[in-house]
Amino acid sequence: MAESSLKLQFAPFCSALEAGFWHQLTQKKLNEYRLDESPKNIKGYYYNGDAVGLPARLTLEFSAFDADGPTPARCCPASGTLYNTNTLEAFKSTDKKALLDKAANEIWSAIQSGAALEDSSILNKFILLTFADLKKYHFYYWFCFPALCFVEGIQLLRAPLSLEQHFSDKQISSLQSAYDNLCASSGTTAVPHFLLKYSEESVEVAPLKELNSFFPDLKRVAVGVYDPCTLPQHPGWPLRNLLVLLAKKWASQLDVVEVLCFRDRTLQGVRSVQHSIIFQLRLSDPAPSAVCPKSVGWEKNTKGAMGPRSVNLSECMDPKRLAESSVDLNLKLMRWRLVPALDLEKVVSTRCLLLGAGTLGCNVARTLMGWGVRHITFVDNAKISYSNPVRQPLYEFEDCLSGGKSKALAAVDRLKKIFPGVNAEGFNMSIPMPGHPVNFSDLTVAQAQQDVEQLKKLISEHDVVFLLMDTRESRWLPTVIAASQRKLIVNAALGFDTFVVMRHGLKKPRESEESSPMSASSSSSSSNTPAATVTAGSSLFSNIPGHRLGCYFCNDVVAPGDSTRDRTLDQQCTVSRPGLAMIAGALAVELMVSVLQHPEGGYAVASSSDDRMNEPPTSLGLVPHQIRGFLSRFDNVLPASLAFDKCTACSPIVLENYEREGFQFLAKVFNSSHSFLEDLTGLTLLHQETQAAEIWDMSDDESI
Amino acid sequence: MMTGERKPASCFLDEKTFRLCCRLFLQHSESIQDGWIWEQIKGSDEGFMKKTVLIPVKSSLLDKQHESIQAENTELPTDDFEADAEDETAGVDAVCESHAVLRYEYHVLYSCSYQIPVLYFRASALDGRSLSLEEVWSNVHPNYRQRLKQEPWDTLTQQEHPLLGQPFFMLHPCRTEEFMKPALELAHAQNRKVNYIVSWLSVVGPVVGLDVPLSFSTAVSAPD
Ligand SMILES: [Zn+2]
Repeated sequence: MAESSLKLQFAPFCSALEAGFWHQLTQKKLNEYRLDESPKNIKGYYYNGDAVGLPARLTLEFSAFDADGPTPARCCPASGTLYNTNTLEAFKSTDKKALLDKAANEIWSAIQSGAALEDSSILNKFILLTFADLKKYHFYYWFCFPALCFVEGIQLLRAPLSLEQHFSDKQISSLQSAYDNLCASSGTTAVPHFLLKYSEESVEVAPLKELNSFFPDLKRVAVGVYDPCTLPQHPGWPLRNLLVLLAKKWASQLDVVEVLCFRDRTLQGVRSVQHSIIFQLRLSDPAPSAVCPKSVGWEKNTKGAMGPRSVNLSECMDPKRLAESSVDLNLKLMRWRLVPALDLEKVVSTRCLLLGAGTLGCNVARTLMGWGVRHITFVDNAKISYSNPVRQPLYEFEDCLSGGKSKALAAVDRLKKIFPGVNAEGFNMSIPMPGHPVNFSDLTVAQAQQDVEQLKKLISEHDVVFLLMDTRESRWLPTVIAASQRKLIVNAALGFDTFVVMRHGLKKPRESEESSPMSASSSSSSSNTPAATVTAGSSLFSNIPGHRLGCYFCNDVVAPGDSTRDRTLDQQCTVSRPGLAMIAGALAVELMVSVLQHPEGGYAVASSSDDRMNEPPTSLGLVPHQIRGFLSRFDNVLPASLAFDKCTACSPIVLENYEREGFQFLAKVFNSSHSFLEDLTGLTLLHQETQAAEIWDMSDDESI
Repeated sequence: MMTGERKPASCFLDEKTFRLCCRLFLQHSESIQDGWIWEQIKGSDEGFMKKTVLIPVKSSLLDKQHESIQAENTELPTDDFEADAEDETAGVDAVCESHAVLRYEYHVLYSCSYQIPVLYFRASALDGRSLSLEEVWSNVHPNYRQRLKQEPWDTLTQQEHPLLGQPFFMLHPCRTEEFMKPALELAHAQNRKVNYIVSWLSVVGPVVGLDVPLSFSTAVSAPD
């Protein structure tokens, strides 16, 4: 007979762990178990009301450690033993076969003694072997659902039918109410195993412990099992040990056993047990010698092989990772909701060099962190003084004691405290300045040379350089180096109640430098505004492509290092209105972000105040050259100005000299008076011809 | 117009009413077995309403979860149990299924500071690893993804669950008033009592994949 060769196959449990379980295990390990490796009682549960397509699961929640706690309604409890090892080594070397054998023996003796009849939950035991690596929040685990085996397997006499194929509506509703009554009388909402008797008219059920009396004869033994499986042809795991119990009880006296795999689901308030399955089988004696039969049950891993599973929960348990993912999420939500075109990756991955860790530096750093920028480097040679903390938000009173900590280093420490995911570094170093001689001794020359090399290296290792110093002269060297290296500079400087935030023009890459600037600009900016027809003064400077924009020094008619000149900006940081640094620092970062969002980056055409009504060039809006703020009027303007061919920092002649002579040239600048640069660039000549214009003067003179 | 005059259709909810609303909600859920339960925090009188939904998915979606420690995992012994592995296939046959299941957990908590209910949720794989919001969304219908980005749903944040201390996503309550007010005022004008939890959850739930069957609106009453 073909049918008799059919062997019954079971759907194994699939372990299902809630995050709460791991959180709780972590707590237990830290506070209670510590190094205690002794077995612990835990509990899980399984459910027979799943929709088709879901695997039969044994679920462990955070409540799993409360072995006497309640089980969710209509779920069957399963008691388990937790073996939590202290080391991965111990996890690996634990004798899994011995653990399984031990559990199998317990089940077997409960079957033999009859204890399993009284309390059939012993049939649904499980083992959980774990190792919790709490440094990495990696958890290794291996479940075992011990099942005793029939050596020959189990012969199906009648293949599974759905209950509605086998039972009439009347029988089905009779079964439902009989089962509900059984639950009620046993004080639960789920009964794992039960006995079954039915006629055409009615269905009777009884608890397993009535096994000896329930069936009038052994011709028609039928049992019901609460079945977590949803497959139409297979029972779930819990049936296995029940069948062993039956076989042990009656051995070969039974010709046939009928099994109902009871599945009970409610969808939108409509209950169904019709999809339960029912089949007939023949049992052989599982263990003629009374020795515990062979057992199986270790769960396969996700690859389908016999092996442990592991889960990495650092993202939801490691506080540092949590901080990172929360920061990222907030930024992503900004993109998803408000600015879908925002290229966050470009912002987050930008390496920022902050020259100056004072009032501006602190505020720039904090705003960069807000944008999720991870790579922030500070350069500053100052120490934190008592007046600093109130204006410089990365420092505290304690930082001022005993002479004060180095700003660059303290700023890094604070950033890491604010956000451990930041990749911050600090350099306590000076930036050589024009008109500040370095030639006192070989030592000072060597130091200056070393500082220049260091600065060159730092600039080359970053994508954006922020000039946030409080002196004008100190901005000169990084301006020259960054111009030479084609790195974007964002510059911020404060007056008492005025500020300027600007991006320096980004020189074209060397290969194309040969081509005429005019033709290059018309191709890249697609500008068709004829300068001659422009009437309004400011419009003269509209549509300036990024490579033709000026630098901080372009508007100057004197070289840096001139200490006699009365300046409106710089050197007055400490007497600026306190809110100014926050405004300017924030604008500097926002300007950088807008530039980064422009497809042409630092080569983007400068937006002006006039563009405020036009279609913005980036998803975030305008990309101005400069933002000049007047706090007294609570007003900002967006001027743009051309690079000046006699600029003491970014003009071709300065860059040529720097690139040709390197430190030799720089040393001359440091050691000479300002007239050296003015002579070199031709500014001296110009000086004699033109009246010096205040840089605050927003007249057309700006461009010269 | 008068200051101090409070609209009868207040968007706020005191904790007692919250609990009463929840109880009525849970009663109906129980009657249709919608899966909502009240989760009491052990040793305290605090608790929340909870529902877990399991959804089978393509296993490729969850592959990512295993990448991270699989490399280190290769050294883990998988050979020890060859004998058993043979048993599994030779002795007693087990059916092989490949399971990828997402578990969505929805928690309804009372926020004392906002005096309204707040919805927390997370999605995880069967091994307990929580999914990132992108992973959640990659499994979400595009139409509904679009909706999630639109107001008033621009209030999703990652927060620690106030009672469990675990990271969850939360629909921030700051804009609840915006959509609850018209609903409550309409009901008030029609002289109809509404269960706050039902009205509120029917609006915020679907946005994060949580269905609230229609029968809740008809069958669940408001507390007296
Ligand atoms: Zn210049």
